[in-house]
Amino acid sequence: MSLANRMALASPQIRAVCVEANEFPRLSAEFRVRGVPHTVVNRMGAFVGALPERDFVAAVLEGAGIPVADSPTPDGPTTELSV
Amino acid sequence: MGLIPEHVRAQLKARFDLRLSGPVHLTLYTRPGSSRLILPAGVGCATCEDARQMAELLRDAAPEKVTLDVVDTSRDPDRARADRVDDVPTIAVGANTEAGRIRFQGLPTGTEFPALIDAVERVSRTEHDLSAASLVELGKLTEPAEVMVFATPT
Repeated sequence: MSLANRMALASPQIRAVCVEANEFPRLSAEFRVRGVPHTVVNRMGAFVGALPERDFVAAVLEGAGIPVADSPTPDGPTTELSV
Repeated sequence: MGLIPEHVRAQLKARFDLRLSGPVHLTLYTRPGSSRLILPAGVGCATCEDARQMAELLRDAAPEKVTLDVVDTSRDPDRARADRVDDVPTIAVGANTEAGRIRFQGLPTGTEFPALIDAVERVSRTEHDLSAASLVELGKLTEPAEVMVFATPT
């Protein structure tokens, strides 16, 4: 969640929301949260796990519909991308 | 949460004395509720009182730099809507009196509490520590984007 917060600090376009998953079960169910950290971009694309900065930024841009040169690391240990 | 131990307050004050430089504004979005009764979803707020204590803890650790605004969303739903706050309790962290774009929805305990402290310190120091390459990439964003990170206390 620190990376999302740092991105919000760096870019006026980003709003970072850290959600306590247990406290909002309906929201967690809506976004199919099965593990944490579970990151959802613009309430559509999601990925699970802690990503390196470069991949996290790329995943957020991809979720926001911005073409990225390199896709997030496909073989990260706990990463899955879904839209 | 109950009373926050005095040694925790002292530790946080000492830390903020060293690490805060510029102003930080917190906005707590809350509504009246009960911490004792289990209420149906959407009724009351079981953790709002604890969130208020936590926000006040942060403010009181550096009152010369940290300000706190409390918004009762049951009385001022338009403000919550305008600030794009979906639920309570939410603590928003920003550098000025506008609604901060770093939010913590729910009571930030466990691993989320250090993240909240980190957010306050980074906002105060305007210190994102992202790489130049990341900043170039983020500069491509032309529309607002929301990044929700679900976490748990443990």
